[in-house]
Amino acid sequence: MVNDSLPPNQRRFFLTIILGGLSTALAVVAGWPLFRFLSPDTGGADVEIVEIPRASVDVGGAHFLTYRGRPVVVLQKSAGEFAAFSAVCTHLGCIVKWVSDPGEFLCPCHAGRFSTDGAVLGGPPPKPLEPIPVVLAGDLLRIG
Amino acid sequence: MSPLKRLVDYLDVRLGVRELVRQNLTGYLVPRRANFFYTLGAVLLALFSLQVVTGILLLIYYRPDAANAFASVQYIMNEVPYGWLIRYVHVVGSNIIVIALLLHMLSVLFMGSYKKPRELTWLTGFILFNLSLALCLTGYLLPWSQLSFWATTVATDAAGAVPVVGEMAVQFLRGGAMVGEATLGRFFALHVMGLPLLLGAVIGLHLFLMRRVGISRPPFGPEYEPPAPLLSFRHEEHPDGIPFFPHYVAKDLAAIFFFLAALAWVVFYAPALFIPPAALEPADPFVTPPHIKPEWYFLWAYQTLKIFPSKVIGLAVQGAFMTLLAVLPFLDIGPERRPAHRPLFVTCYFLGILLMVAISIWGHYS
Repeated sequence: MVNDSLPPNQRRFFLTIILGGLSTALAVVAGWPLFRFLSPDTGGADVEIVEIPRASVDVGGAHFLTYRGRPVVVLQKSAGEFAAFSAVCTHLGCIVKWVSDPGEFLCPCHAGRFSTDGAVLGGPPPKPLEPIPVVLAGDLLRIG
Repeated sequence: MSPLKRLVDYLDVRLGVRELVRQNLTGYLVPRRANFFYTLGAVLLALFSLQVVTGILLLIYYRPDAANAFASVQYIMNEVPYGWLIRYVHVVGSNIIVIALLLHMLSVLFMGSYKKPRELTWLTGFILFNLSLALCLTGYLLPWSQLSFWATTVATDAAGAVPVVGEMAVQFLRGGAMVGEATLGRFFALHVMGLPLLLGAVIGLHLFLMRRVGISRPPFGPEYEPPAPLLSFRHEEHPDGIPFFPHYVAKDLAAIFFFLAALAWVVFYAPALFIPPAALEPADPFVTPPHIKPEWYFLWAYQTLKIFPSKVIGLAVQGAFMTLLAVLPFLDIGPERRPAHRPLFVTCYFLGILLMVAISIWGHYS
């Protein structure tokens, strides 16, 4: 037999390479569906623009909604003047709430405060709330 | 010095891993004539592990309440990337497990491996078989389809035939008078937690017994002789055997991949084999679909209940058969294991298999 002339360590090396290659191929074939199965849901992240009725935001009031899988707040500062921000506090990621009197955002976790422009008024947040584009189109508000 | 050798040295000083490996892998000798059927234990371990992994993955999206269960399974099948693959592997895997369990038990019976000193190993194996069937039954309800609902209704109804406590047993199983939300809650808890924990514990005991007593020598070949009567504990050694690692592990792996290939074939080429049309409609407690049949491995029990004029007798016959199977090692106490020297047993064995297959086919077409 020709194979018998090969030293055992060469045969072992060959087997190791073959088995290693097969195992890697199997791991990829089994791993890819597993990775896709566990991949996070985009949660509407591909939706560029969300529309809501203008009437859903009162003058001097705020309306919370989900935009691209994240919470967003739309504010009507005065009649016809709208602003939208990410509702995620820039300190540790809690969701801010709207306090109509005195008219500012308050983070309930560590008392961070933000103005109607999203600027930091007090507390630990290191930067302003992230602004989101919002335009009025007839009776609809287009966010995004 | 390579990092691997340094790691092994580190563990060896603290845990004596080289001695452990020698005792349990390279120096652990198993019978030279061990055949394909000796690999079925390893195959079952691999398949049960696959069920645990796919089951945990399905739990991520499955919702165990009557209002959402069916929709969540449809979501897994149609929306979640590769959700269909994970579910099919879980469904087909459960059926392949029953096939492997039956082959394992039938081979142990044929080779007389249940005999002294392995009675307890057989008994724990028999319990594992029943726990596996209970896992199949409880898992069957979870998709909350017409098939799940009515198959569970029929299966739980059978317990009502038990005299005196039957009606109470049915209500306890269902958590109410009919199959409903309470049944789903019970079966879900049993399927994902209660039964798997119990199964894991009994598998541990089964493996301990198998390892402690030693693997039985196959009762074939001219050199095989029935052992002398056992008067005190003795681990069965095989000094002329082959090392468990790598020789026997290679055999185990070949069998495991054979079963995985069969599983993959069904998943990709015949996925509807274990999912009939009634499994595609949501459960409706007011409409019983025609010709509801249990899974193939329960057909013999289903048909037995129909053959006998009274459900009590049918249930008693089933109970007597299962009890006989459980206590067989305590009744069949002769030392002879060679099939050719046990004509009566082998005749009953093959007639029994033929009878079960015939009753199951009858149940399928009835």
